[in-house]
Amino acid sequence: MRKRIIYWVVWIFVLTGLLLATALFSLYIGSVGMSLNKILRVILEGKGTLEYSILFDIRLPRIILGFAIGGSLSLIGVILQGMFRNPLVEPYTLGISGGAAIGVCLNIVFRLNRALGILSLPVCGFLGALCVVVLVYSLSVKKGVLKIQGLLLTGVMISFISSSLIMLIMAVSRTEDLHGIVFWIMGSLEEPNNALILISLCASIAGLILSYLFCIDLNALALGEEEAMHLGINVERSKRLLFIIASVLTGFSVSVAGIIGFVGLVVPHFVRVVVGRDHRILLVSSFLGGAAFLILCDTLARTIIAPVELPVGVITGLMGGSAFVYVLTRKQMLLKAK
Amino acid sequence: MKIGIIVFLFITHLLFAQEDVPQRIISLGPSITKALYLLGVQDKLIANTIYCIYPPEAKKKERVGTAQKLNLEKVYSLKPDLVLATSLVDQRSTEKLKNLGIRVVTFSTPRDFNDICKQFLELGRLVGKENEAKEIVERAENEAALIREKVKNLYKPKVLIQVGARPLVAATGNYFVNDYIEFAGGINIAKDAKESIYSRERVLKENPDVIIITTMGIAVGEERKIWQKYEILNAAKFNQIYIIDTDKITSPTPQSFVKTIEEFAHILHPEK
Repeated sequence: MRKRIIYWVVWIFVLTGLLLATALFSLYIGSVGMSLNKILRVILEGKGTLEYSILFDIRLPRIILGFAIGGSLSLIGVILQGMFRNPLVEPYTLGISGGAAIGVCLNIVFRLNRALGILSLPVCGFLGALCVVVLVYSLSVKKGVLKIQGLLLTGVMISFISSSLIMLIMAVSRTEDLHGIVFWIMGSLEEPNNALILISLCASIAGLILSYLFCIDLNALALGEEEAMHLGINVERSKRLLFIIASVLTGFSVSVAGIIGFVGLVVPHFVRVVVGRDHRILLVSSFLGGAAFLILCDTLARTIIAPVELPVGVITGLMGGSAFVYVLTRKQMLLKAK
Repeated sequence: MKIGIIVFLFITHLLFAQEDVPQRIISLGPSITKALYLLGVQDKLIANTIYCIYPPEAKKKERVGTAQKLNLEKVYSLKPDLVLATSLVDQRSTEKLKNLGIRVVTFSTPRDFNDICKQFLELGRLVGKENEAKEIVERAENEAALIREKVKNLYKPKVLIQVGARPLVAATGNYFVNDYIEFAGGINIAKDAKESIYSRERVLKENPDVIIITTMGIAVGEERKIWQKYEILNAAKFNQIYIIDTDKITSPTPQSFVKTIEEFAHILHPEK
């Protein structure tokens, strides 16, 4: 037991170090080249200069948002994969992102963002997400029991329905609105409103703390619902609360940053390979790993072919997907060799 | 003494007037870049997008992204005092620039020729070339009126301008491309369509005399062949299917607009 705790602590330190390193790397690199020396000087005494502004008004907010969104998405991935005992579930499986997307699309098509300001976009997205959460939840509760498989199926169907609805909206919308919709769907960590970034940060950390209260329940649920019940877990209550935490956090992330794929699917698997299946460590390390991964991907997205900026989803998909396939095949080869 | 005061006022007036005119402009749209060159302020244009390829000199300017997504850091580091955006630019980026204290002016997609002229005048005012802009607009308006006069009493052919295939996208009435047809003496069959996605059946029913296909990322040759298969189409029967370069149609200035109308008039009324 002692040994395991030491092992966990070491991993948390390693992941935190990795996260800090990526964040610093991301702060350092950009289309405006600055030497390390210069950056130090700018940080210490350069307040009010152009470089200071680039570091703290342009690069830093993106890093913070990357931390919040990346952490949230992979945390949600762990919770949902654990709850459903299904390795393919990710934050976008339950149709919540589809609801957020419809909210945002309607906002753009009806020009609410021009009348009420750009902040109305995430608000509409969040409302759309909440509608879907309520819908999925109420459809899956039968006689006071939350049916996990039903939840999954309803969620998948709702996400299909919503993607069809989005296509419908896109087909009948004006060309200039179409651009706004496409941008939003591609996902981006560029957010002009600093207050919103701070709120996302708080929400992601609150999500981590709240879900950590259920780490024992998640461990028990991994054995199966009945087994968990015999272990003395209040299965119904934990399922419900976990679903609510995960879905509200999904709605939040999606409405701020749009749809950034793959983080919530792949990072939990990677982390599981490294630290094991115990949710007591898995939740925290996934959060840290996801944050580092998304910050790194965003840095690459904005620098690879500068001055053109790629959608961050391109990088997360390419890097995450290929790295995962590589790890999987290697593992199989190692098993065969044995 | 009096003269001294007047001279002083005159000089300060000049100084302040100078200060008002932006000296470091970044353009985020091909049409804006074209217009700035037309107004003769290309020296003050410090950067544009990778889509700004007309006039060819514009390609040599610093690039800050595509016409839709820009590299904020790059824009900011160039210290512009005026950023001219189109409504295609991601709103979050322009908002962020405004928060950083940079003056951003956004031009929406023009709905007709009138809009194009209005925006051009506005642009002229912003960069301190109001008179030049007025002159160019007046000249364009006169030329446009002349062409309209010429084609007024001629037979009005029915026209379809196709700006996209799969799905078939037609230029509708609330898009400035509609004015090319009307000014050149034609009838836009898609004028009253609410959405820009159009169906082939409707095209067959309306039976246009002329079909103009723009090269907006479509396999144009193939698209022409598809239309030629429909023998009942007047455009196919009389071989009136044309392909036109997208750059000539989209991103217009008043000047290029008139040139394109002329070209259209030749297509629609070859006898004249």
